[in-house]
Amino acid sequence: MSTASANLQVRQIPVLLGGDPNSLKDWAGHWEAGRVLGYVAVIVAGAGLYGAAMGYWRSPVQAGYNLIKFPLVILATTLGNAVLNGMLAPLLGLNLRFRQSLMLVLMTFTIAAAVLGAFAPVVAFIIWNTPSLAGQTQIPWATYNFVQLTQVVVIAFAGLTANVRLSRLLVALSGSERAARKVLFSWLAGNLFLGSQLCWILRPFIGSPGLPVEFLRPNAFEGNFYETVFRAIGHLLSS
Amino acid sequence: MNEPNTPPLIPAPALAGVPASQPPLSPLDAGSEDLAPIPNVVIAIESILRQPRRVIHQVRGPNSGALIAGMVLAAVVCSAVYGVVVGTFSGGVQLWAAPAKVAAGLLLSALICLPSLYIFACLSGSSARLTEVVGLVAGLTMLMTILLIGFAPVAWVFSQSTQSVVAMGALHLAFWFISTYFGLRFLNAGFNACQGRSTGGIRVWMSIFILVMLQMTTAVRPLIGKADTLLPVEKKFFVSHWMDCLKQTYDSEANRGTAQAR
Repeated sequence: MSTASANLQVRQIPVLLGGDPNSLKDWAGHWEAGRVLGYVAVIVAGAGLYGAAMGYWRSPVQAGYNLIKFPLVILATTLGNAVLNGMLAPLLGLNLRFRQSLMLVLMTFTIAAAVLGAFAPVVAFIIWNTPSLAGQTQIPWATYNFVQLTQVVVIAFAGLTANVRLSRLLVALSGSERAARKVLFSWLAGNLFLGSQLCWILRPFIGSPGLPVEFLRPNAFEGNFYETVFRAIGHLLSS
Repeated sequence: MNEPNTPPLIPAPALAGVPASQPPLSPLDAGSEDLAPIPNVVIAIESILRQPRRVIHQVRGPNSGALIAGMVLAAVVCSAVYGVVVGTFSGGVQLWAAPAKVAAGLLLSALICLPSLYIFACLSGSSARLTEVVGLVAGLTMLMTILLIGFAPVAWVFSQSTQSVVAMGALHLAFWFISTYFGLRFLNAGFNACQGRSTGGIRVWMSIFILVMLQMTTAVRPLIGKADTLLPVEKKFFVSHWMDCLKQTYDSEANRGTAQAR
């Protein structure tokens, strides 16, 4: 087999996005370094561009930081949960090898990153049309909420699209909708749990006008996402 | 999980000089007028109005680059011409600023939305390649701007006979909506020919495209009235801008009414 067929070629990206399980089963079944590098490249490009568009609202420097941090969250989540995902799949009825489960998760994130990258120009245009956060002493909440909502919609769409395709692929690989559903939800839960904390550590992605533009906050490794959420709920209930 | 280590097959050219096989544009009869090549931009303009499937077929074929480039050029020229008509309302700087902004704004809107259209096409299972998507967008913008040229005399007559920025803005928007409708209908026909599994994604994209263009009109304001700067200093959502314009008009008419009453 020639080296070229073991790499992710640009013209194969529509096949990946189309999500036809019969086409993708073979790709998911075999670990090929060239194709893995291709997936990583798409994740870095797509998620990086989207992160940069998101961060530009605060400042061009924040955009530059997000170009690195956004893909880093995705890749770190994939690698951090690789062993866990590899173990959960056979336990829940889908007999995958470790590399196959890693390949599936990478393919899913590649689809999401491609969608995010495609929406980066639209998000950048929206950001360009909103007053910049830089130079403001107070957060314009209406504008902030609008931008946040846009981010949520785009990221949710990318995630949903990717996971629908993963779901179809898992059904094709396992032959069982039940097993596929269990594997999908367990991977999602694990990735969300780790991904949320990684986002917390690597914050800010947008930043606040009252705080300086930094790659990481000084207290990045103090506290965690879930503590902050519980504390916020506690304050809300006690107020 | 022990299948041979081969990726899914990408369709390869069957014969030298013959493009990778595409699903045929259906239904088309062999020898139909829709298969005749489009030699120049004038024929392209006529075809997109009378034989849109001819344009769709050419865009999907080999050597579509010249046709696509021609359609983009036609769109730029036609939008600039309509921009001149828009600028005649205020005159002065707007006679060159408005056409530049209309043409640049349209091109920029198409470029901003192009990647997401390609993604939506892929997600829907369409067989459209990137060049075909670019070609369909070029056709969309050319058809839009041709229709705007058709509305140009009407727009000019109103420009010369009203002082109301709001009224002229509403009129231009109405013409733009009608032109966009036909342009998007062409795009939809193009994607139907590419046999995607669903059209939901394309419809979502159409909404995004319309919103981006509407916001672009505010981002490059003023197009109709006058301002101290060529481009706006303050960033505004297009709905806010429209509300502000309406409020301004209402306030000035109320003041005029009060002054006349005195």
